[in-house]
Amino acid sequence: MDILKIDNIKKSFSGVNVLKGINLSIKSGELHAIVGENGAGKSTLMKIIAGELEPDAGKIYLNGKEVQFHSPLDAINSGIALIHQEFSLIPQLTVYENIFLGREISKKFLGINFVDKKKMKREAEDVLKTFGIENIPVDSKIRDLSVANKQLTEIAKALSINSKILIMDEPTAALTLRETEKLFSILANLKSNGVTIIFISHRLEEIFQIADSVTILRNGELIDTKKINEVSIEEIVSMMIGKSMNNRFPPKPVKKIEDKDEFFEIKNLSSDAFKGINFSLRKGEILGIAGLVGCGNTQLAESIYGLRKFTGEIYLEGKKMNISKPTDAIEHGIFLVPEDRHDLGLVLQLSVKENHSLPNLDLFSKVGFVASTIEKKSVRDTIAYLNTKISSINQRVDNLSGGNQQKIVLGKWLVRSPKILILDEPTRGIDVGAKFEIYRFMYEQSSKGVSIILISSELTEVLNLSDRILVMSEGRITGELNPRNATQEDILKLAVKGKES
Amino acid sequence: MTLSNGFVRKYGVIFGLAGIITFFAIESPNYFFTASNFILISKQSSINILLALGEMFVILTAGIDLSVGAIAGLVGAVAAGTIVATGNLFLGLAAGIGIGIAFGLINGVIVAFAKVPAFIATLATMSAITGITLIYTQGEPIWNLPSSFDFIGQGNLADIPFSIILMALAFVCAWIILDRTKYGRHVYAVGGNIKASRAAGIKISGVLVSVYAISGLLSAIGGIVLASRLGTAEPTAGSGYELDAIAAVVLGGTSLFGGEGWVVGTIIGGYIIAVLNNGMTIMNISSYYQEVVKGLVILLAVMLTSFGKKYWNE
Amino acid sequence: MKSIILVAVMLIGIAALSMAMTIGFCVSTLNNPYFVSFTNGAKAEAQLLGINLIVMNANNSNSTQLNQVEDLIQRKVDAIILNPTDSDALVPAVIAANKAGIPVITLDRSVNGGTVAMYIASDNVEYGKLEAQYAAKLLNGSGNVVLLTGIPGASATRDRTKGIMEVLSQYPNIKVVANQTAKFDMATAMSVMESILVAHPDINAVIAENDEMALGAIQAIKAAGRSGIIVIGGDGIPQGIQAVKNGTEAVDIAQQPYKMAALGVSAAFFVVNGINLSPTSLSMPLFPVTKDNVDQWIASGD
Repeated sequence: MDILKIDNIKKSFSGVNVLKGINLSIKSGELHAIVGENGAGKSTLMKIIAGELEPDAGKIYLNGKEVQFHSPLDAINSGIALIHQEFSLIPQLTVYENIFLGREISKKFLGINFVDKKKMKREAEDVLKTFGIENIPVDSKIRDLSVANKQLTEIAKALSINSKILIMDEPTAALTLRETEKLFSILANLKSNGVTIIFISHRLEEIFQIADSVTILRNGELIDTKKINEVSIEEIVSMMIGKSMNNRFPPKPVKKIEDKDEFFEIKNLSSDAFKGINFSLRKGEILGIAGLVGCGNTQLAESIYGLRKFTGEIYLEGKKMNISKPTDAIEHGIFLVPEDRHDLGLVLQLSVKENHSLPNLDLFSKVGFVASTIEKKSVRDTIAYLNTKISSINQRVDNLSGGNQQKIVLGKWLVRSPKILILDEPTRGIDVGAKFEIYRFMYEQSSKGVSIILISSELTEVLNLSDRILVMSEGRITGELNPRNATQEDILKLAVKGKES
Repeated sequence: MTLSNGFVRKYGVIFGLAGIITFFAIESPNYFFTASNFILISKQSSINILLALGEMFVILTAGIDLSVGAIAGLVGAVAAGTIVATGNLFLGLAAGIGIGIAFGLINGVIVAFAKVPAFIATLATMSAITGITLIYTQGEPIWNLPSSFDFIGQGNLADIPFSIILMALAFVCAWIILDRTKYGRHVYAVGGNIKASRAAGIKISGVLVSVYAISGLLSAIGGIVLASRLGTAEPTAGSGYELDAIAAVVLGGTSLFGGEGWVVGTIIGGYIIAVLNNGMTIMNISSYYQEVVKGLVILLAVMLTSFGKKYWNE
Repeated sequence: MKSIILVAVMLIGIAALSMAMTIGFCVSTLNNPYFVSFTNGAKAEAQLLGINLIVMNANNSNSTQLNQVEDLIQRKVDAIILNPTDSDALVPAVIAANKAGIPVITLDRSVNGGTVAMYIASDNVEYGKLEAQYAAKLLNGSGNVVLLTGIPGASATRDRTKGIMEVLSQYPNIKVVANQTAKFDMATAMSVMESILVAHPDINAVIAENDEMALGAIQAIKAAGRSGIIVIGGDGIPQGIQAVKNGTEAVDIAQQPYKMAALGVSAAFFVVNGINLSPTSLSMPLFPVTKDNVDQWIASGD
């Protein structure tokens, strides 16, 4: 039975056709994945279903009856809840307050609504328990929760209002492997309780793990809907990008990396997040550092870049380095592309040009004044090199897609001829096409002799790109693998090592 | 996790106040540390706390109200002027409170609908209202007010100064509203994440307009108490009062970014300011140094709360 | 026909007279009854003399007043009467007026540079001395005194405090037990005085450097239920005079802002008409108003 039917929905923004007439049916109780490159229209379609946007044309049928949503509240009241990628929670309030936001349980006294905190806490706990969400105290503040738990709170919020359809946009983008597994088991739980789930994801392997069917959008059109067991990854990818792509990864250049090319060494590095780290890096090598969240790889990257205190020694080309702040690292040609590009990599209100120039103003300025022509040329050259899709260099970066934003972050460091690039989850939340380009960029840089430290939780990515893989667990290096003969299980085994002891 | 950032922020102020009181108690045990002096301090802080409570509502929504002092001044003048003109105390009080709420609503409408940043909107209304007060009073103070009016700022009810009773009532109402009602939850939510609040169906403009109206109301009450305490409505009364009001709110641990704050904290913040003024005057510390000390204390308090946040989040 | 011509000539005559002279009147602020009275005095005199008086209020801002003076210079007024917001900051304005050949008269406060045709002010040092002398007399030479000073850094504050201290230092048995600023503001004075009363159970007199502060001190004394404290203020604002009549204020060193400004306008009238004045500065007499002479003072109207 179709719980949701989308009939010829059209939507355009400022003359651009974002949805060109979508026809889609979702079966009740299924987990339906929506995939497509950025700009394909996935988020727009979800927002229309969830009442945040109104379509220009077309109809929506819920359980066979036509519905019109003029606000998110209409959709919520009809049982459709959208779980956002940037969560719509109030960080300063508690879990139970957020779950009941806008519909607080209250008793009326003299015309004033007095909230019943005890009741809300109890009911919040019940909701969490029913759906198998554990270990979240209902009176903890949202900002003290991990990213995974924040998401679970959002889900609990949607469920507590008896949502029958949950829409999730990139739910696993910020989760670790473990947390993703947990989320999936909760989703399976929900399905058995009759909840229909629609989710957008860029992680194709995951879709094959849990989805029942998948719909592919491209350029505002629905290409096809298929049962998951009747389609392969390659077919999905080629439907997404409209041409066949034999591989998601560009051809790997043949590199000859010898031990004598070693030029960077970490000796006994320790901090509050990791202990006794030793490794060395060779010119042009791509070193993957894999591990679960909390293993310390991000923190290690931050320390090498000067964002975090550490003890131990770092040697570059034989000389000991004194790194206590990012400028020290930058001066030596070590750059970091951080995990959270919104928080640490970009200034969202500034333009493409300004973000590109920010760490490079010294190169573009004479006597304190920025030479505008030099600056603009640098920006344009980098944009061309990375094939970044922008409409103007003065455009605000928060209007760009994730992939293009990431290219801005990468681009700004290129100007300074890096020796070592530390990339922390560089392709998170980015579509397949842009990922390809970033991989190509990484290969090109490494052939030019730039060394890359790649921190990633996408194991296929790590296995494909790296020349060598280190695995970390709970702050220590638990092993080194040769990607040519290692598998995902090998990495995982080393990533959970140490937890048993 | 008992010693969380919230703990430091919340209870830190209490230790701060206790510390300051202890210091003055040691320096001047006979004069400072007496029951009658504490009643005096409460009286002296009452006007500021009334304004600060209103200010807190606004700051919780991530806004700010720079016009509280100006409204207090205008209301004092209008109330006094109306009483002198009509001879009717209640008419005067009603007029004053009406004006306060009216200007509060104007602030709220500008912020909620014209989408002007609160800082600019209330700065503008502050200027305008100050001017209106000067026009209304023609630069002359309004005095010779009936003793029934004097009662508000100078009288006692069961041996407790009436202004303290007003302050206590305002505190209790503010606490109940913010902590115990649905509306209160919405005030925090709007300040914490306005997008999420909108998505949850909370009427943002209703919340915004109302918090500024509440601020206007409390400023009005403060202005009436001020004029009553002096027995005179001065043309420039209330000038600069917004700074002490905001200071009290910030000292009390309310975040200027909205979404969190503790009503008791604002009371404590107001007391810290009053205790500092009272203690330093009793010790006859030079006026120049008093300003420096006050500024340092506020700076320290803000540093502690933001330092506390950074430290606990690492 | 004749009568029409006569009326026409009269109208032209009056118009000519009033067009004859335009004088700029720059007052530092209007948020104080003192300065309101001040400006009223100027306006009244200007009307009597048929002068077109342009009143500008600087709201206590130096930059605003500088702009206003420059404006008046542009408009080529016949003279500028200046009540400076600050004695140093307004020097460039005076110099500019000098260069433009426009005579300047300063009232109530001086400027420390440029040439001024006439300077009329109360002597603030004398003001302070008078306050202290009356205090000493009423205390019979001994007692505890509280001093409430004005805005720190203002010349009036400096001068009045100087006068007070000069006199009090001659009385070894008079002790200044508390010296705090109340910024010329009634509410501040009340708060400060309340705290001072707590710390000093034995106060005999309060010397406040203006009436607003004296009135604030009186309120504080009333609220604390204390009595027998002599309060001395100054400026002579109506509320202060009333307090003298009521007996709550012992002495009010009244200034005569109305008369001062009127004198300033007539001085300007003479200077513009080419009559040189000598001496070029005038000290306005201060009137200590006490219960004995308060009725006379009120009758004389100021």
